[in-house]
Amino acid sequence: MRMILNEMKKILTWRMLTFLLLVNTVLYFLLISFDIEYFPNGRPALDGYRLGIEMIEEYGVKMDEEDMLDFSRQYKSLKKEADEYLQARPEFAAAGLENYEKLITSDWNNEEQQKLSNQIFHEEQVDLFWELQERSRLMEFHDMKEMIGFEANALQQKRFDELLAEGKYQAYSEVVIQNFKDFIVHVGITVLFSVVLLISPFILKDRTRRLLDLQYTAKVGRNLYKTKLIAGILSAGMVITVLLAFYFSLYAQNGTSPYFGLGVNAFIANLTWYDPTFLQYIWLCILAIYVIGIIFTMLAMTVSSVVPNFVTLIGIQIPLLFVMLLVGFKILLSHIISVQSPQWLVPCLYGLLSIVSAGLLIYLIRREKLRDILE
Amino acid sequence: MLVVKEVSKQYGDFTALRDIQLEFETGLYGLLAPNGAGKTTLIKMLATLLYPTKGEVLYNGNNIIDMDSSYRELLGYLPQQFGYYKNYSPKQYLLYLSALKGISKKEALPKIIELLDKVALGDVVNKKMKKFSGGMVQRVGIAQALLNDPKILILDEPTAGLDPKERARFRNLLTDLARSRLVIVSTHIVSDIESIANEIIMIKNQQILYKDSVETICGTLDGAVFETSMEFEQLESFRQDHVLLSEKQEYGKMIVRFIHKETPLVDWLPVQPQLEDVFLYEYRDETNGTVQ
Repeated sequence: MRMILNEMKKILTWRMLTFLLLVNTVLYFLLISFDIEYFPNGRPALDGYRLGIEMIEEYGVKMDEEDMLDFSRQYKSLKKEADEYLQARPEFAAAGLENYEKLITSDWNNEEQQKLSNQIFHEEQVDLFWELQERSRLMEFHDMKEMIGFEANALQQKRFDELLAEGKYQAYSEVVIQNFKDFIVHVGITVLFSVVLLISPFILKDRTRRLLDLQYTAKVGRNLYKTKLIAGILSAGMVITVLLAFYFSLYAQNGTSPYFGLGVNAFIANLTWYDPTFLQYIWLCILAIYVIGIIFTMLAMTVSSVVPNFVTLIGIQIPLLFVMLLVGFKILLSHIISVQSPQWLVPCLYGLLSIVSAGLLIYLIRREKLRDILE
Repeated sequence: MLVVKEVSKQYGDFTALRDIQLEFETGLYGLLAPNGAGKTTLIKMLATLLYPTKGEVLYNGNNIIDMDSSYRELLGYLPQQFGYYKNYSPKQYLLYLSALKGISKKEALPKIIELLDKVALGDVVNKKMKKFSGGMVQRVGIAQALLNDPKILILDEPTAGLDPKERARFRNLLTDLARSRLVIVSTHIVSDIESIANEIIMIKNQQILYKDSVETICGTLDGAVFETSMEFEQLESFRQDHVLLSEKQEYGKMIVRFIHKETPLVDWLPVQPQLEDVFLYEYRDETNGTVQ
């Protein structure tokens, strides 16, 4: 244990932690801050978010036909309110916009009508009118609930039909799940960069500084290599935990907890192979970040064990990170249970990456036992 | 105690050592050879950093590789060059290494203070090593080799970077240590070991040339080492015909020390061979004069 702590102290130096703080500050402002500061991002996103909470409070996490009828009744009642609102304002009646229906079908070429429409939606931001639009959109989705919305293959169609048969159709605004997906990918990128920067130099440094001669002739001998790997994984785990705790404490500001009990398939345009609740989905993504972080920690230690210098160390890892940024995070994180990837793909990729990274380390542990220490 | 049994080491096609056969008991052994002769290869094999291509190294009859940590527990090793963490103080660094050596913190702390005093670093125990001179770092290296009170102490070029005073202090330390353990000192500086080694091992052409006492090795040149003086102008032709061991200027003349195995001239002064004479003679450049 003392040796593991000693190795961890070598990784988690104040200098390195300050560097990570700097990197995280930059990446936070480049990537994550938008998902926190601009949620919900304008309108009708704000109305979708508010309406979702209202729907969960009134109908629970699953809407049946009766709930939908009530939802429709409410729409009509609000529409009436909107009509009264417009009729109370003579300038709207004068421009021929005496009811809600006329307002939303106003003539694009009629300058007066467009000016008034803009006034009510954008200048005065009257909630009622925005809410009506969002309600109308959700009802339209409900009316088309038996249409999958994209060109589905047989398995995707089967999954869609299964959910429909269980009465699980897409009824709630996608704004919350979409925001979370963006947020978690950005957090994933930040965490990945942090652990790779943290771990990469660790093993190479001891090698290039000629510390192995003293380390491997001590009682612990070449078993120290294993200790270093354990220390690397634990340090990466600690950093991942701290970063996730920090970024999720910021995410808490988005106020999405009312949605936690909602099944992820209840969000519009979010068809998935499994049906966890939103909270379970968050935990799944957190677990995925740990797994990706540890896999890349192991890969970074592998590279660090074999390359001759820092330039090669960076050069080899850039393509790996680039692939992750380009396609990896999309498949492994935001589409983790989405029907947009084949059901077998994500588990197989996680399995393959875990086996390859762990296999490489096992090979290096054996190699370290037998190799001549020349450097 | 420690036996090197028919050990060879090859790096690809290059043979660094061939059929080395050595036996070590308690005492001080000086491993003497020029750079690149294979000293470090042999030392690294004794320290388990390199594996012999052929043969084995035995400690009390057991293969040191098979003994694993029970062999390394007995070992103190100072490599020719060693790494350290620049932001660590000697105390932190030695504590780190003592953990690797399986010494508890409680046991290690007083030992570290004692050893740092012994190598004259008692007043910089908590100073960061990045401010240390080469000699100071080397002394930390010597201290770390002694942390576990080793039965086998292997030192590769231990005096590199030490000033003459420190070298003398270090020689005394080695003499003390060698009374109760095996000490192997690898060096190409003859004066480091000439006066203190029980036996000298010399390597030439990948094989052991000598493993004997200083007297016996020097005896191989008995009656063959001479000194004479000459004019500077005569020196060049003298160099062509003899193996010169040293040259110095004195009272406007050149005093030369050289090897001559045939009948000497009358004005040549026969002198007692020194270990350095044997070293220079055995490792002379082939183009550098001929022996008569």
